[in-house]
Amino acid sequence: MNFHHVTIVVLTIIFITGANALGDENSNEVAALRQEINQLKNLISDIKEKSARETEQLRVEIKTMQDNYESRISEFNKKIAGIKSDMPSTDDSGVTGADSRRIRDNSFNPSIGVVLNGKFSDFSEKNSEILGFGIGEEGERGREGLGIDESEINFSSNIDDKFYGSVTAAIVREGDEDIVELEEAYIQTLPDFGLADGLTLKAGRAFWTLGYLNEHHAHSDDFADRPLPYRAYFNKSFNDDGLELTYVMPFDFYTEVGGGTFRGDDFPSGGGTGSSPESFSGFIRIGADIGHNQSWRMGGYYLGSNVNLRNSNEDKVTFSGESDLYGTDFRYTWAPTGNANEQEIILQAEYFKRDDDGFYNDTNESTGSVRFDDDTRGWYVQGVYKFLQNWRIGARYSELTRAKTPAGLEDSALDAKGHDPNTTSLMLDWTNSEFSRIRLQYNYEELSKNAEDNQLILQYIISLGAHGAHKF
Amino acid sequence: MFKKLLIVISIALYSLPASTTAKVRIFACEPEWASLCIEIGGDRINVYSATTANQDPHYIRAKPGLIAKMRKSDLVIGSGASLEAGWLPILLRKSGNPKTSPGGIGYLMASDYVPIFGRTSKADRSHGDIHPEGNPHVHLDPNNISLVADELVKRLALIEPENQLYFQKQHKIFSERWRAEIARWEKFTEKFRDKPVAVHHTSFTYLENWLGLRRIATLEPKPGLPPTTSHLKSLLKTLRGNPARVILRAPYTRDKGSIWLSDKTGIPALELPYTIGGDHHCSDLFTLYDRTLELLSEALDDE
Repeated sequence: MNFHHVTIVVLTIIFITGANALGDENSNEVAALRQEINQLKNLISDIKEKSARETEQLRVEIKTMQDNYESRISEFNKKIAGIKSDMPSTDDSGVTGADSRRIRDNSFNPSIGVVLNGKFSDFSEKNSEILGFGIGEEGERGREGLGIDESEINFSSNIDDKFYGSVTAAIVREGDEDIVELEEAYIQTLPDFGLADGLTLKAGRAFWTLGYLNEHHAHSDDFADRPLPYRAYFNKSFNDDGLELTYVMPFDFYTEVGGGTFRGDDFPSGGGTGSSPESFSGFIRIGADIGHNQSWRMGGYYLGSNVNLRNSNEDKVTFSGESDLYGTDFRYTWAPTGNANEQEIILQAEYFKRDDDGFYNDTNESTGSVRFDDDTRGWYVQGVYKFLQNWRIGARYSELTRAKTPAGLEDSALDAKGHDPNTTSLMLDWTNSEFSRIRLQYNYEELSKNAEDNQLILQYIISLGAHGAHKF
Repeated sequence: MFKKLLIVISIALYSLPASTTAKVRIFACEPEWASLCIEIGGDRINVYSATTANQDPHYIRAKPGLIAKMRKSDLVIGSGASLEAGWLPILLRKSGNPKTSPGGIGYLMASDYVPIFGRTSKADRSHGDIHPEGNPHVHLDPNNISLVADELVKRLALIEPENQLYFQKQHKIFSERWRAEIARWEKFTEKFRDKPVAVHHTSFTYLENWLGLRRIATLEPKPGLPPTTSHLKSLLKTLRGNPARVILRAPYTRDKGSIWLSDKTGIPALELPYTIGGDHHCSDLFTLYDRTLELLSEALDDE
C-alpha cells in the first residue's frame, strides 16, 4: 500500500462520517424537503389528470373532424357518381391511371387462346393418293362429311424480363381417335436477355422459320387446306424439337438471317435417335415497305437432314438417307385505299425443291430397299383480295413436280406414273370480326392420273380469348 | 453571291456541333405522338410514324419495314391500352432491341399517364372488340397531350442527357403555348356544351368529354364491328325521335353508314381529321385541334 492509497481511504472515511454528522444536524431541513417532494408529487398527479382530460377532449375533437370528413367524402362520392352517370355512355367511367395499371396486372397471367375449327367437305373422287412423293399422315386429304378440324389451345406470355414462352396443343382426329398433338412448346429470349441487339434464341418445339406458311398456325391460312408442297414435304408443317437463332440486322432495310438445329424426328426427317442432331437449317429474309400501303418480303431457306427413318403412306413406305430441302418464298401486300382494314390485296408464292439421296422401301409392294437419288419440286402461287371490310375472295394453284421413277420402284407409291399432282382452289370468306370467319372453298384436284376430284369445303374458324396477332 | 455562300457555309458549320451528338430515334405508333415528339424533340430527334391517319391503328400488320425501324429505335411511343396489341408486341419481340423493352425508359404508352375512360373488368367479346384497359383514343383531350408531354421530356432527357436542357426548353415553350391554346379553345367551344352527337366508333370519347358533347348514338353495334343494316335502322328510329346535331367519323372508318344515316335523317355527317394528316389542314397538333373545332363549330352553330 503506498501513500496515495492511504490518503484516499482516509479521505473517504472522513467524508462518510462527515455526512452522517451533517444529517444529524439538519433533520429539520430533511422534513421540509420531504414536504416539498410530496407537494411536487401532488402537482404531478394533478398534471396527469389534467392531461388525461385534455387527451379525451382532443379525442372528441378528432372524432368530430373525422365525421365531418367522412360526410364530405361521401358527398364527393355522390357527386362523382353523378358525374359518371352524366357520361356519354355507361361503359365510359373515368378511372385514374393508377387504377388502369392495376387492371393491366392481369396481363401477367398467360394470355389464353382457343381456336375452334369445323368443316363440311364433299369430294367427288374416292382416290386421294398422291403418288411419287411419300406422303405423311397429315399431308393426306381431310375427312369427308361433317367433322371438326384441329381444335387448338394456346397459352403464351412473357415469363419475365428475359423469356417469352408459348405452348399450343391441338386436338385432332386421327383414325377413330381424338388425339392431342403438341404443336408448339417453346421459350424465346426477349431483348432484355442480353444477347447482342437483334439476336433471338428460340428453343423447344415450334413452327420453325421455313418458307411463309410454316411459321403460321393453319387456322390463320387463307385457304381451308395447305398447298401441295406443304402436304408432301412437311407433313403439313415442320415443328421438330430443336433450337433456332435469328439475327435482325441493324439496317433500314429489313434483313434477317438465322439457322437452327433439330432432333430429326419430324418430316422431312424422321426417326431421330437423339445421339446427335440430325437436321440443320439456315435462312435469309429481306423485305421493305413501299410507302405506308405496300410491303413485300422474300426469303431463301435450307433444311438438311440425315434421315434415319421417315415413315409415310400409313407407315407402308420408308425412306432413309440424306434429304436436302431448298425453298424460297415471296409475299406482297397492298392496301389500295391506304387502309388495310378496308381493302387489301395479298400475293404470295413459295417454291421448294427436295433432294433425296438414300433408300426407299414400299412394304406394301415388297419393293425392298431401293436406291433413290433425285429431286422433286413443289410450289404454289395465290392471291387474296379483301374487297369489303368483311369479305375476301382468293385463288390458288399448287403443283408437285415428280422425279423419274428408279428401277425397282415401278408401281409402288413412289411411282408418279408420269403425272404431276396439282390443285386449283377458289375461296370466298366472310369475317365477322377478328375472331370469327366462315369460308367456302372449291378445289379441283388431280392428285394422280385420271383422278379428277371436285371438292367443296365449308369451314368455320373461331378464336376465343387472346387478341389475335397480325404477323406479316 | 460570294457573301451568300459564306453565310450558308458558316450556318452549316455552326449547326455541325449539334448534329454530331446522336439524334434520338423514335418509333411513334400513331401520327399524333410523332407530332408531339417533334414539338419536344425539335431537331434533336428522328421520328418515324408507323401509321397514317387513313389506317385503323387496331389493324396493322407487323410489316418488314416496321421491324427494321423498331430494330434501330431508342424510344417507342404509342397510345397503349391494347390499341396496338395486334402488332406492337410482335415488333418488340422480333426486333430484339432491348432499348424499347416494355417497362424501360424507351417504352412510353400514353394511356399509362392519363385518366382512362371505359375501363372494364368484364372483357366479354359479345360486346365487341373492347379493351379491358379502357378506351385508348386519349389524344383528343388536349389536357392528355400535356400529361404525355410532361413524361416525354423526362424520357428524352434520360435517353440523351446531353440535350436535356434543350428538351426542357422546348417542352416549356410547347407547354406554355399549348396551355394558352387550351384556354382559347375552351372559350371558343363553350357553346358546344350538351350538344347531342352520333359517332361511328368510340374514337371521339375523350373529345366529347372535354367539350361536354352528349353522345346519343354509336353506328357500330359493338366496338370494332362494322355497322349492320338492322342496327342502322334502329338508330334511324332513335335519331328521328331524338336528333343528333352531327354524325362524326374518323378518316379510317368507312363512310357508308354515316352517309346513309345522314341521307335518311338530314343530320349532317362529318369526317373529323382525328389525327395529324387526317385532312390537309392538319400538319401538327395545333392545327389538328384548330381544324377539328372549326369543323365542329360549323356543324353545331345555331345561327
